[in-house]
Amino acid sequence: MQHLWLIPTLPLAGFLVNGLAGRRASKTFVNAVAIGSVFLAFLWTVKTLFALAPLETPHIERYFTWIASGDLRIGFDFAVDRLSAVMLMVVTGVGLLIHIYAAGYMAHEGGYYRFFAFLNLFMFFMLVLVLAANYLLLFVGWEGVGLCSYLLIGFYFLRKSAADAGKKAFIVNRIGDFGFSLAVFLIFVAFGTLDFGQVFAKAASLPVEHTAGLLTAVCLLLMLGAAGKSAQVPLYVWLPDAMEGPTPVSALIHAATMVTAGVYMVARSATLFTRAPLALDVVALIGLFTAVLAASIGLVQNDIKKVFAYSTVSQLGYMFLGLGAGAFSAGIFHLVTHAFFKALLFLGAGSVIHALSGEQDLRQMGGLRSKIPVTFWTMLCAAVAIAGVPPFSGFYSKDEILLAAHHHAPWMYWVGVITAGMTAFYVFRAMFMAFFGSYRGRAHAHESPLVMTAPLMALAALSLAGGKIDVPRILEPVFPRGEAHHSPALVAISVGAGFAGIALAWLLYVVRPALAGALAERTGFLYRLLYGKYFLDEIYDALVVRPIERVSRVLLWRGMDVGLIDGAVNGAGNRAQGIGGVLRKLQSGYIRSYAVWVLAGAVLMLVTVALAGGGR
Amino acid sequence: MSQYYTATDHFVLVPAIMLALFGCAILLFDFWVFPEPKQRKWLLAFLALGEAFAGYGLWQQHTYIAGQGIAELTAFQGSLVVDGFSLFFNWMFIAAASIVALMSYRYLEVEGEHHGEYYSLILLAQCGMYFLASGADLITLFVGLELMALCFYIMVGFLRSDKRSNEAAMKYLLLGGFSSGFLAYGFSLLYGLSGSTKLSEIGVAIARRDPADPVLLLAMVTTTVGLLFKISAVPFHMWAPDAYEGAPTTVTAYLSVGSKAASIAFLLRIFLGPLASARAAWEPLLVFAAIASLTVGNLAAISQHNIKRLLAYSSISHAGYMLLGLVAGNETGIKGVAVYVLVYTFTNLGVFLVIVALRREGLVGDNIDDLAGLMHKSPGYALLMLICLLSLAGIPPTAGFIGKYYIFLSLIQAGRYVLAAAAALYVAVAIYYYFRIVRSMFMSDAEDAGAMETTFGVRVAAALTGLGTLGIGIFPEPFLRFAGQSLIR
Amino acid sequence: MLDTIFFYLFALLTLLGAVLTITRRSAVHSAISLIVSLVGVAGLFLLQRAEFLFAVQIVLYIGGIMLLFLFVIMLVNLDRAERERQFSKAWWLALACVVGVGAEIAYFLTKGPAAFQFPPGAASPGVASAAAGGNVERLADALFSEYLLPFEMASLLLLVAVVGSVILAKKRI
Repeated sequence: MQHLWLIPTLPLAGFLVNGLAGRRASKTFVNAVAIGSVFLAFLWTVKTLFALAPLETPHIERYFTWIASGDLRIGFDFAVDRLSAVMLMVVTGVGLLIHIYAAGYMAHEGGYYRFFAFLNLFMFFMLVLVLAANYLLLFVGWEGVGLCSYLLIGFYFLRKSAADAGKKAFIVNRIGDFGFSLAVFLIFVAFGTLDFGQVFAKAASLPVEHTAGLLTAVCLLLMLGAAGKSAQVPLYVWLPDAMEGPTPVSALIHAATMVTAGVYMVARSATLFTRAPLALDVVALIGLFTAVLAASIGLVQNDIKKVFAYSTVSQLGYMFLGLGAGAFSAGIFHLVTHAFFKALLFLGAGSVIHALSGEQDLRQMGGLRSKIPVTFWTMLCAAVAIAGVPPFSGFYSKDEILLAAHHHAPWMYWVGVITAGMTAFYVFRAMFMAFFGSYRGRAHAHESPLVMTAPLMALAALSLAGGKIDVPRILEPVFPRGEAHHSPALVAISVGAGFAGIALAWLLYVVRPALAGALAERTGFLYRLLYGKYFLDEIYDALVVRPIERVSRVLLWRGMDVGLIDGAVNGAGNRAQGIGGVLRKLQSGYIRSYAVWVLAGAVLMLVTVALAGGGR
Repeated sequence: MSQYYTATDHFVLVPAIMLALFGCAILLFDFWVFPEPKQRKWLLAFLALGEAFAGYGLWQQHTYIAGQGIAELTAFQGSLVVDGFSLFFNWMFIAAASIVALMSYRYLEVEGEHHGEYYSLILLAQCGMYFLASGADLITLFVGLELMALCFYIMVGFLRSDKRSNEAAMKYLLLGGFSSGFLAYGFSLLYGLSGSTKLSEIGVAIARRDPADPVLLLAMVTTTVGLLFKISAVPFHMWAPDAYEGAPTTVTAYLSVGSKAASIAFLLRIFLGPLASARAAWEPLLVFAAIASLTVGNLAAISQHNIKRLLAYSSISHAGYMLLGLVAGNETGIKGVAVYVLVYTFTNLGVFLVIVALRREGLVGDNIDDLAGLMHKSPGYALLMLICLLSLAGIPPTAGFIGKYYIFLSLIQAGRYVLAAAAALYVAVAIYYYFRIVRSMFMSDAEDAGAMETTFGVRVAAALTGLGTLGIGIFPEPFLRFAGQSLIR
Repeated sequence: MLDTIFFYLFALLTLLGAVLTITRRSAVHSAISLIVSLVGVAGLFLLQRAEFLFAVQIVLYIGGIMLLFLFVIMLVNLDRAERERQFSKAWWLALACVVGVGAEIAYFLTKGPAAFQFPPGAASPGVASAAAGGNVERLADALFSEYLLPFEMASLLLLVAVVGSVILAKKRI
């Protein structure tokens, strides 16, 4: 017994203390509780992992039976294997850094205690998700992080856009969860258990031809869930809007941890996916398509956080490409390095925004290099990492994925390379627009305090050197490594694409700044299409949201439910007439139409039954 | 004791006697013993005493059945039956009535209405529910239903100075009578088919008949219409939004959980009892009603501005989920319905409790905007509301998830994938309108700074519903086992 | 023979009253027509040797309920209702119902007693003690023995109805 339950419970305790007593407590106290609980969770994780090393097989702790019916037993069980160990380290480690950063960033915001309480609650659910030993408990964490994400996106609730974004995130996620929950039920019906170990053992023992159809259905539904949580096509639309939340939230939830839950879940279910090649292909295609789509949108955005948001969507697409190509460990590797450099990019962006007193528009920045040097240099580390410049972290993980993609289908590699070029371009475009040239804004820029820059520096170190952590080797007990596909030529091509992207950004935004505007003018339609994000929000709105609302409002509200609103308004006038008024209303009013509905329903049922002849 | 009123009969009847007795006693004591306004609290204490006695009787039945190891105990020549099913539902009624009474005291004070009659009606309505859950005879069931319904007609119109309340009561009464006509007609045909009013004998007679017999179909359809009306399933739901909105909020709470649970119990008794052999005929009807309820309930709720009306539509959609459990028909499904009703009872009471707590002089509290900024005003109630709404939406680890889990699982086990997918998809729609309330609570500023004044009773009720909603979600085991015992064998 | 004549007489009375009830424009006329119809039903009860029901029908329905109806109608001004169209747009539904019920009756008439096959042993449903004594005694026997529980429940029901009418009617108790 390693008391794994302590890891999530510590942040939960932090949430309870801050949530219940934080309103009256001082900021120092809130900080101590929030950061302290995460720090302790981190320490406990490290201690546990050392105690459990080498952890070749999963370590499972069963606490109590959660649901039992018949021969089904779903336990409140936690498990650690190397996959969840990696995730645990990322979640608690990066989470801790972001908590520290947030103490500085949110120092002047209202609702300080509320923010940290929600942040701790998020950590709790995320750790439950990672530690869960069965699909149902994973689902608990899955829904919990969604809820916290909702609450934190809408933290600046006075901005209508923030509240709307939170709602959108939650509802879109529910569509994904719909798939996930159906998948869980299918798994249960097919295997009679939801425990990871048992499900995978049973799936592995059954002959492929027996289970192919079923597993394909299960995996496609799981992928629907992952697409919702990890912002993949067609459910990615919530993530860019989610940037309405405070920047530490964007970094923690919408870049480093929560959005990677879908990747983790698919990797966790690798045994199922490898037996459903069709589903695996779908995963790869969705990942690749998302990567290209989001990267192309990111090329032209002007809001610094939006650029990084689309970049996150795109990088998540990369991870799914890796998973779909069968290189699960490469996907997780990229998840880890991405957590480092994307958290850094967001925190850096937050530092820039903080320095400029809330300005997010890249066009209002420029020349900040000398004004906020620490932020600049740390962000540069992240930028070279994400652009795939060797020997930094992004280079290693991206390379693994691209090589696996080439092995899977060469055309996927080429699309991936183009995406890598675009990635390098938009990141450095943002960097150049923010830090080079001359300052275009009005606010007085000042460097952030140490409490914010220290996490930046730690993450910068990780972004630069993180590639040396050989995640695929760590994960070997979970995902046996196939034959390595080393190909210096392919590596060189992808690195070249990255450099080309950087060079192009340099040309357009530093050397000849006028050229960018001219290019946008020249390619008017394409530019507008990209800038308008392919108008997918509008299309979804017109095709899904509006029709449902119209049905609700026009058909069900005005058509059938005319009752009380009109009735009350009309009724108020003739209140004086007493019973006569009521009686008249009954005569010409709604009761009769209600009764007609009842009668019509009865007749309909009778006719149906008569025609069906008793259902035979 | 004569042969028509034996010791067993008495034993089985004790809880109902206690409820009726205390119901009448409160009526008398109201003006006899406690005429002063300050003494009203004693009436509440009397109600609690009545519930305690009823609970004691129920507990004795419980231990007797468990001790003897028998499945059921019949009384009154088979008109009443005590089994796991009736016990399960009756425990739930006690919980629901007690919580409603706890939250009512302050509400009645604010509304300036009488206490005595109100508490008395709560008990008498529960007495009707007792017969609905334990009845095994058409006449007993029908009179029990009317007893419960009559109490609710009166309670819905309890705010005499409020025109909406009066109008709602009138509509509910007329439509309720209309639907009772259908039910009575169906019952008379069932009696004609079998020559008996006992459910068991009717079941035997029906099983012997040709399932396509027109008389049987007619009896089945008319009975179904009457029953579906009571649980407010589409297309017999029209009364629900108006009655829910117009009724005093505490009564709406009682109506939405008590009346609904009792009607579900009634429906299960009929469909799993005498009509079980005609499953092929009624199953399509219930599928239709369930899908229609999910569709209308969920979609119409989107455009509501009044919370009570919104919850009425949400309750219509929940009726749809419950019907789906019956449609699945396997053990998981029936158990799922029982769990669902239990969960729904605690959760819905929690939601209504927050609305009741909001009520004060000059604020009705049933508009979504009235909840604005509740998070800042009183975080405790906002949290309770959040938990309950998450539970209604079926999000883990709240109780609602367990309920939905069983319904979906039963559908998939029964191979009804399309129904399961449709039901799961409507969960995504439901989140849309539940989160309008959440958004109002968490995402906007308080429009008025008036603090909430609550009483001890309201706080106890809040704790009970909150604990129920979270507790069933996290430790569902004992509740599931309890529901498992309730299966009709 | 005499029975048959009386049956048709009462049946005609019942139907005539019913038709007049729904066709008269004046509410008072409708109510009086309803009384005629109810008298016809009472007569039918008598023909079936159900003296108790006959008496109840006369005393309660005609004596009590209909009188109350007439009072209400006269107290409440219904002039406007009289001028309104008497047939609603839902006539098609009503027609469907009439056709449905007609078909049902036709079915029962053609099928005869076979439509309701009582299981053997339940030939005389309900009253078990078909021993000596008139109709009223047998009814009383049944009510206080076999149907004791529903009988007592009905008393509770009536109590609630009384309480309810007091609550709803009185402004201040």
